[in-house]
Amino acid sequence: MIISVSGGKGGTGKSTVAVNLAILLAEGRKLVMADLDVEDPNDHILLGVSLEEERPVNIMLPFIRYDDCIKCGECGHVCDTGAMLISPDGLPYVIPRLCSGCRACFFVCPTKAIVEGERTIGYTYHTVVERGSRFDLVTGMLREGEEHTPPAVLAARERAFSLPADLYLVDTSAGTSNSVATAMDGSRLVIAVTEPTPLGLHDLELTLRLTQKMGIDTWVVMNRSGLGSEERHEEVVRRYGSEIVARIPYSRRIVESYVKGEPIVLLHPDSEEAQVFRELASMVEGVI
Amino acid sequence: MRIAFATEENRGLNSVVSSRFGRARYFIIVDYEGGEVKSYRVEVNPGSEARSGAGIKAVQKLINEGVNVAVAGSFGPNAMTALGEMGIRHVGMSGITVEEALNRLKNQL
Repeated sequence: MIISVSGGKGGTGKSTVAVNLAILLAEGRKLVMADLDVEDPNDHILLGVSLEEERPVNIMLPFIRYDDCIKCGECGHVCDTGAMLISPDGLPYVIPRLCSGCRACFFVCPTKAIVEGERTIGYTYHTVVERGSRFDLVTGMLREGEEHTPPAVLAARERAFSLPADLYLVDTSAGTSNSVATAMDGSRLVIAVTEPTPLGLHDLELTLRLTQKMGIDTWVVMNRSGLGSEERHEEVVRRYGSEIVARIPYSRRIVESYVKGEPIVLLHPDSEEAQVFRELASMVEGVI
Repeated sequence: MRIAFATEENRGLNSVVSSRFGRARYFIIVDYEGGEVKSYRVEVNPGSEARSGAGIKAVQKLINEGVNVAVAGSFGPNAMTALGEMGIRHVGMSGITVEEALNRLKNQL
């Protein structure tokens, strides 16, 4: 079973919720956590572990066999990302950074003048985490300067799902892009983390709209609760048939845990904040 | 000599040169010989409607139109790479009309 943590706005506490849940849910079951926020993966930082077992994420990069090129321009025509430029003399010219590796040019070339090469756009990692409980963390990371996130998300997802587990806990990136939809695809439940701010509200609604479209049950977790009004959040959440299942208080202890790089359920297991995570974890266990 | 000016408006040689290249609405393409305008035409920049790779689509348009010089306020990194590779000169200039820009360019061509 896959459960995803998402929520729209950056910095709402998705990763904080995800790592604390992972620690609690790994008790008594085999859990694999997948950090699919490939542009800024940070679950390993919050867990205080390092990234290990690096593997490259390669995508197809076209190479042109100029002797076979008949200058028809089909490759440039079909290219959706602008990675294939047709020069004044009619020969194609590849701009690697813009290529998403979709192979469209390869398929349309009538003379098979395009050769499949590859290039590395990112990496995946596998770390065995032993923090309170033991679980696997798979992390996807895009190389700096790269702009096509989905292949890296998919590669990390596949690596995570290749490990046997009772539960896969996915941490998505912010926003509601292709990468987020790809990350949460197939989830039984999405936990949408938000905060009582206008931006938190705005992005929460986008997330709810996305999960509604994808047909995935969604629970809302209010982080930094007490900071501002939650009335409009309540309204929106109700409209999408969801509910706010947990409220994490805006507290100094959470900040302290963040500063120390030690998840709150381990740093202050008896605190009310840790209690909120335990209640949330047992609700999730009800779904499992 | 064929010069393309990036613009946001279609007012011929009175159009103001845009600050941006890849996503400018139009290219005013001028055939310029012996210090005078022989003819000009207005083309929609396909980059202005592109989801991604706007700079490259704009450059492709200029290649297809046989342009030698591109004029805009600024050029993105992809456009710069492509223009350089394709041997199209780029000149940074904006906020003045195409006609005024041509006058300033006169001595540099």
